[in-house]
Amino acid sequence: MRDTPLSNCERRFLLKAVEEKKRLDGRQTYDYRNIKITFGTDYGCCIVELGRTRVLCQVSCELVPPKDSRPTEGIMFFNLELSPMASPAFEPNRQSELLVMLNRQLERCLRNSKCIDTESLCVVSGEKVWQIRVDVHVLNHDGNLMDAASIAAISALSHFRRPDVAIQGRDITVFSPEERDPIPLSIYHMPICVSFAFFLQGSYLLVDPCEREERVKDGLLVIAMNKHREICSIQSSGGIMLLKDQVLRCSKIASVKVSEITELINKALENDRKIRKEGGKFGFAESMPKERITALKRDEAPVEMTDVQETANEIVNRTETPTEAVSSPVLVAMGTAQVGEGIVNSWGLDEDEEDEPQTEDTKTGNEVMVISDSEEEEVSLNLSSYLKVKLQNTNILQLIQCYTTKYNLFLKEINKAF
Amino acid sequence: MAVEMRLPAVHKPISLAASQSNRDDKHLVVPGDVITSDTGFMRGHGTYMDEDRLTASVAGEVERVNKLICVRPLKTRYNGEVGDVVIGRITEVQQKRWKVETNSRLDSVLLLSSVNLPGGELRRRSAQDELAMRDYLQEGDLISAEVQSIFSDGALSLHTRSLKYGKLGQGVLVLVSPSIVKRQKTHFHNLPCGASIILGNNGYVWLYPTPGHQDEEAGGYYTSMEPVSLSDREVISRLRNCLLALAAHKVLLYDTSVLYCYEASLTHQIKDILKPEIMEEIILETRQRLVEHEG
Repeated sequence: MRDTPLSNCERRFLLKAVEEKKRLDGRQTYDYRNIKITFGTDYGCCIVELGRTRVLCQVSCELVPPKDSRPTEGIMFFNLELSPMASPAFEPNRQSELLVMLNRQLERCLRNSKCIDTESLCVVSGEKVWQIRVDVHVLNHDGNLMDAASIAAISALSHFRRPDVAIQGRDITVFSPEERDPIPLSIYHMPICVSFAFFLQGSYLLVDPCEREERVKDGLLVIAMNKHREICSIQSSGGIMLLKDQVLRCSKIASVKVSEITELINKALENDRKIRKEGGKFGFAESMPKERITALKRDEAPVEMTDVQETANEIVNRTETPTEAVSSPVLVAMGTAQVGEGIVNSWGLDEDEEDEPQTEDTKTGNEVMVISDSEEEEVSLNLSSYLKVKLQNTNILQLIQCYTTKYNLFLKEINKAF
Repeated sequence: MAVEMRLPAVHKPISLAASQSNRDDKHLVVPGDVITSDTGFMRGHGTYMDEDRLTASVAGEVERVNKLICVRPLKTRYNGEVGDVVIGRITEVQQKRWKVETNSRLDSVLLLSSVNLPGGELRRRSAQDELAMRDYLQEGDLISAEVQSIFSDGALSLHTRSLKYGKLGQGVLVLVSPSIVKRQKTHFHNLPCGASIILGNNGYVWLYPTPGHQDEEAGGYYTSMEPVSLSDREVISRLRNCLLALAAHKVLLYDTSVLYCYEASLTHQIKDILKPEIMEEIILETRQRLVEHEG
């Protein structure tokens, strides 16, 4: 099914925003979205979340005869799949340009850079070698699949453990994980792809484009680098003309980002290793927050509050002071009567009449007493800072206190920020 | 920038007594529900045979015509019928036709011979016209058209051979489900509140400021780029929020229901209409007025 086309208004809006250096989610031009790496219970299984883009990678191994041209080296096989779960535009078994591009780039990034020592994967030269198979599945497409896929692949490869092998003459014994601890792969370095999207004929660039931004981009530059500042591959698509210093600038940005991401991956691997050693619970189920409503959960977003103080002061100054209310008016509710000369009915009052905590600028206190014999006191309240309402029902009072303390905290925070 | 804070509260769902009676005579099913174990029926769309039992594969209403049982889904892509008014967006410009996206399973087709040439002339389409197709309609343009016929694979063939159809200019597009747009004699309405509306059968609804005078010679391709006044914009924004409220509560959309909803919403601010509690209030009032209007 084809994706719904982008309307002209949306396209113009996105391009205008890029020109003004603003992004849809409030990021800066060189900012990445939140990256979250979680490992599964099996070795070699990893899910990477880049904002809302989710990618799953599974590494497995098998003993196979080696290639004729390279009898002493193991085989690496990469496969990336775009499932219809990721986006309605992806159809199963459809060879699209995007799929071919992602597969090629992943292969180039991980195989041609020789980040895995393939010689160590050889068991019997010319007869049996390990074939490492890396399967990447895209679970949700919200832009920048290449980066997420490369992070997932290298994390899964670093996490993966292959079975131990013992060779006696011509006999090969493969030990199961229970008999002997599986061995990690020997990884020389971690190449990670960083994507740059170019807009308006190459005049503006964005790092880590989201799906909307990707739709209006002119061209894409993908730089695969490791933390030792070695470039593993560069690919430019879209046919845009890039200047030399633009490419150099991108590579500098990429090196900064790659070192941050590599640290993140190492930390995640370290955490997982620690938990497994201590015997704690690990896996995907543990990485999800439990017993919390996450239906309306939003990530932290930066809010622009540069002129809140002035606006707040303006509003406070502009509002007219409320008229002086009559002190302690007595309202008679339905269904009540009074006997005598207007003595106040004290049945509806509770013993403890607490005062509401003072807000910032309170004027004269006001007491409104409603006489009624109903159990539920219906009190309408005005939370402006000019009125103080005296309540008779402690339950509602506590609710009000909770609201006002929240309001006070909010005001304090604004004041603190300036 | 003012920040509004609201804390969650429990609100009870509102349902009118009138809607309860309608639900009883409809046979609603969900995927996996067994419709009948009788083997004498032929199975139609939306059903499949599961060990001799006729089971539904979509969520919807069961329809029975003699021996044929099919399930009509509640939420579906637009299935076109001849004579429907649709609003679509041009996705491709091909040799002698345009491909239009109309929220259906396949892109609809607008043949060059089915459009009115600007200037309203009636002549044979020449190679010149073919080369100048992009000047009339480009990728991304919105058009209103009528379904002329249906191809064998289900794709719709559209035409704009009337002055009321053609390229749409300044306005607001609202996307709703095709099943809640009521089929009526006319889908073009000039609402008394000061805006005009086109209710496309495919779920695309177009709101635009009422044009001052009809431009006869333009033939549907002249789009005025004059700035729209603030009052018109406010009316259109309010209408758009009302449409979203009606769609959220599955109220059938037609000119009367939209108008009643607009009038019920006048007491609130435009941006407040989208809040759930206020939405419920407005829809309740609209439903009551509609029931009175019919009864």
